[in-house]
Amino acid sequence: MSVARSARLRRRPGSHPWLERAAPVAAVAALLLAWQWSGLYLNSILISTPLAVAQDLVQLVTRRVIFEPLMESLEEVVIGGVLGIVFGVALGVLMGRYQLVEKVLSPFVNFLNATPLVVIIPLVIIWLGISQNARLLFIFLITLWPILLNTLAGMRNVSRGYVEVGTAFRLSEMQLMWKVSLPAAVPYILAGARVAAGLAIIGMIVSEMEVSLTGLGYLLITYGNSFETGQLLAVVFVSSMFGVGAVLLLKWIQATFFPWIIASAAQQH
Amino acid sequence: MLEIEHISHTYETNGRRVEALRDVSLSIRDGEFISFVGPSGCGKTTLLRILDGLTEQSGGRVVFNGVELEGVSQEMGFVFQDINLLPWRSVRQNVEIGLEARRMPAAERRARAVEALRMVGLDEVADVPPYALSGGMQQRVGVARALAIHPKMLLMDEPFGHLDNFTRETLQIEVSKLWSKLGTTVVFVTHDVDEAIFLSNRIVLFKGRPGRLAKIIEVDLPHPRWEFNVRGHPRAIEMRESIIEYLGIRDEVLV
Repeated sequence: MSVARSARLRRRPGSHPWLERAAPVAAVAALLLAWQWSGLYLNSILISTPLAVAQDLVQLVTRRVIFEPLMESLEEVVIGGVLGIVFGVALGVLMGRYQLVEKVLSPFVNFLNATPLVVIIPLVIIWLGISQNARLLFIFLITLWPILLNTLAGMRNVSRGYVEVGTAFRLSEMQLMWKVSLPAAVPYILAGARVAAGLAIIGMIVSEMEVSLTGLGYLLITYGNSFETGQLLAVVFVSSMFGVGAVLLLKWIQATFFPWIIASAAQQH
Repeated sequence: MLEIEHISHTYETNGRRVEALRDVSLSIRDGEFISFVGPSGCGKTTLLRILDGLTEQSGGRVVFNGVELEGVSQEMGFVFQDINLLPWRSVRQNVEIGLEARRMPAAERRARAVEALRMVGLDEVADVPPYALSGGMQQRVGVARALAIHPKMLLMDEPFGHLDNFTRETLQIEVSKLWSKLGTTVVFVTHDVDEAIFLSNRIVLFKGRPGRLAKIIEVDLPHPRWEFNVRGHPRAIEMRESIIEYLGIRDEVLV
């Protein structure tokens, strides 16, 4: 009796656990069915059909068309993103630690953060031509800012209690930064990394569309220009998997290396 | 011997001047257990923070064994009410923090931390993260963290304020035992009169607005206190009554 009651108390009103699990599956299935059914009436160039897209996806894999562009894209996102994280954290820490650095850099940071960075693609092409380095530079520049700003915010919002403990036990300024402020900023940095991962993938696709003869972005443009809608959507699906992969990777990193984030937050509530 | 000489402290909040402490003088003897008791806002915690160097006084000085203290002191171990264990460090690493500041080699640090944890009965959870511990255990870690630096004085700021009654009484007995074993001077801030009577040699009463030292009481009860019912002891009852009377707590409740 009391167990049933507490379970009911925990649930929101009007909730149906079984239905709630089935509903999203049904919604996806309904959409796929409607899409497939639309194929009977619409020209396949417009939106193709799920089955055709699936077939095209299988073909992209079996004919090994997708692998080279895929690896190219993956390389760009990983290298560009990692560089963005390393430099973003380093600059964020320096700005958080040294007021002078912050004062000097903040106009640039704020200006560049407010700029829609796609506009620098032509400039990047002028510097580096149509090359992977140009794309790397662009992805690096686009991921740098969210990481930097989040690191800075994290260093600013270190709980006063932690700093007091560090002070009472006579940690030096340097030790306070490395042993207290930076670890305390990790939740902020990870949140920045989630934003940056999304931007890195957008940056990858956009720069490949503009500055590339390979990569997923180039495939998208090619299939689009030749009205191969099924293959186009198959590549879109592969691109979505990048986002899913990035989210899963970041979740894994947090759970494996920073389990305290969720555990200590849960205890405070 | 710690000499508190004419300490005063004022600060401003929202353009309002607050006189937290006015001309407090007191000597604390080596090895004694002394409590600061008084209502909220009487300056007892401020004085404790000044002794540690966490807060800089606006006037007066603190002299420890003939040397005037400046900045955060080497000799004091501070136990916070909000323990603030760093969640990314294990219990042992939290206890090591004061030793890292002293640049002690890792092996020695580890041994000292485990020794301090053993004193509070927690050496078995040394490698557990702090959030896995109960509130009472976390506060024990807070005590171990302060003990690890082998302080000459232990400054405790309402350390059991957030704990439930049972845990609090257990920890009072443990602190009392630790004190009689180690012989370290303890300065203990609390607003719990019974707690102060149970633990202390002397109780310093503070009054508020402005915060000032009002009276010092010798607690002439035998030691060790955990071996008899202190709370029911006629002398303790008398002392509690007179403290409550003196601080005017009862009047405030009636008004």
